[in-house]
Amino acid sequence: MKMTRSWDRAFLHKGLGVRRILILAILSGGIWAFVQLDLNPADLVPTSGGVQVAWAFFSRALSPAIVYEAEFVPSDTPPLLWKALQAAGTTVVFASAAMSLALIWGLLLGFLASSSWWVGDPAGGAGNVTAFVRRSIAPVVYGSTRVLIAFMRSIHELIWAVLFLAAFGLSHLSAVIAIAIPFGGTLAKIFSEMIDEAPRDVAHAFRGSGASATHVYLFGLVPRALPDMTAYSFYRFECALRSSAILGFFGYPTLGFYIAASFENLHYGEVWTYLYTLLVLVILVDWWSGALRKRFVV
Amino acid sequence: MMWSVNEGNRKSQGRTSSSRGASFTLRKSSVVFGSTVALDSVDLHIGSGEAVGFVGLSGAGKTTLLCLLNGTVRPTGGTVQVDGRDLATLSFEELRKVRSGIGFVHQDLSLIPNLRVLHNVLAGRLGKLSFWGGMRAFLFPQRRYVHQIHEILERVGIPEKIYERTDRLSGGQRQRVAIARALFQEPVGLLADEPVSSVDPARARSAVSLLTEISREQGLTLCVSLHNLHLAREFFPRLVGLRAGRVVFDRATEQVTEDEFEALYDLNGV
Repeated sequence: MKMTRSWDRAFLHKGLGVRRILILAILSGGIWAFVQLDLNPADLVPTSGGVQVAWAFFSRALSPAIVYEAEFVPSDTPPLLWKALQAAGTTVVFASAAMSLALIWGLLLGFLASSSWWVGDPAGGAGNVTAFVRRSIAPVVYGSTRVLIAFMRSIHELIWAVLFLAAFGLSHLSAVIAIAIPFGGTLAKIFSEMIDEAPRDVAHAFRGSGASATHVYLFGLVPRALPDMTAYSFYRFECALRSSAILGFFGYPTLGFYIAASFENLHYGEVWTYLYTLLVLVILVDWWSGALRKRFVV
Repeated sequence: MMWSVNEGNRKSQGRTSSSRGASFTLRKSSVVFGSTVALDSVDLHIGSGEAVGFVGLSGAGKTTLLCLLNGTVRPTGGTVQVDGRDLATLSFEELRKVRSGIGFVHQDLSLIPNLRVLHNVLAGRLGKLSFWGGMRAFLFPQRRYVHQIHEILERVGIPEKIYERTDRLSGGQRQRVAIARALFQEPVGLLADEPVSSVDPARARSAVSLLTEISREQGLTLCVSLHNLHLAREFFPRLVGLRAGRVVFDRATEQVTEDEFEALYDLNGV
């Protein structure tokens, strides 16, 4: 075996150096944040009153309520489980409406925010309208779309909800749009990146057979990214379910509304019933997306 | 095998004069990528309906030459003419039109794995369709397209796969899908880049055989790059030898000497 010469060694070690520094930097960044926040494990030891509340709440985890815990229940109130089911239904309806809007925005803005549709033909083309659009209008559209979707994403759905409630009151549309804006922005960002990262072989082939730039984009690039886009949309639907449930805290009849009400009345068994309903919803969506993925994606 | 050909007319030299095939003319065409010279001052004329094999080592410039012919690579020097029209003088729309008439079977096949065979073949027609025409064809394919595609798939030997997902097919079947897509363009010229590299030797032979046979039937001009000299000599009446971006011979197959073939594939002094 040959001895490693000194300049070889310098070359070999240089390749490792950057990575080592990066790993150390990430680790020390985490530690710095902990120190900065003065995080202390002793904070997790509850006060004596807190222990009681925590015990009262968590002890009901294994025995969620089947019937109302209140002593007086008006005679026209539907049974608890039926009410949980209705709340779950409302949660799904809000989430579906918001996701439908978000998907439309995500696809449109994702198209404008991807660079694939306006990057020119590798062989170039003689100057005409298309070339002008590519060279001068497209980069502006691309840049401003990126800023727009960053803005949509950077504000949480709860903050959008607060704004819309103040402006329009407790209308269903306020809740749907509040969820749809940040979700549309996130979908647009991820879609555009998935499309830009999709393999270009097919797009190149389509261009070679005379397909227009929009056809190349829609039929050469999007289908290659479609499995990933579908899987991601399902994941976002799950997130939309959670957000839709949380909007109940503002008074919408989704699961969050009943969770908040039961919690305030110290009916922890009911809280668990609603929480488990939400859990079942998320598991159902997960199972559904898994089944679809097996069929279409694999 | 339905595509096997009868030995006698495999290398048919005489083509019908009414051939609708495209003609290609290269004059002093060079292609330089950065500091690499891919093609160096190539002069070449391929007449309507001819079948030509491009042979040489990998890296000799065969793929670049094919890409010049359908205008996906621009020459950095010299001119490329298709049917007598200089590609550099065409508008983008005119160039698209020329491209839509030239089918290209890529080495990596460039198919969409998660779509059905039908849609992959359908994509061949996009160059001839308007925006809405393409949308309609892709989302709600017309019956007449489906029938045409079925006929083409029958011709290439896999009609029963029309509704199969492309990634469920074997390598040989996928290659036939790529050929079918090129044919659905209703092309006047057919280009194929190493149609043997993605399949085993037996299928390689049948793929080349299929390409030459279909081109002859339809009067298409055919250019195929091959590093397998054996197949090239068997199926093509004319061979163009490339080495380091230059044409080292260009003549009827039986006139190429053994020494020339050996020099072409000599690994020393590349």
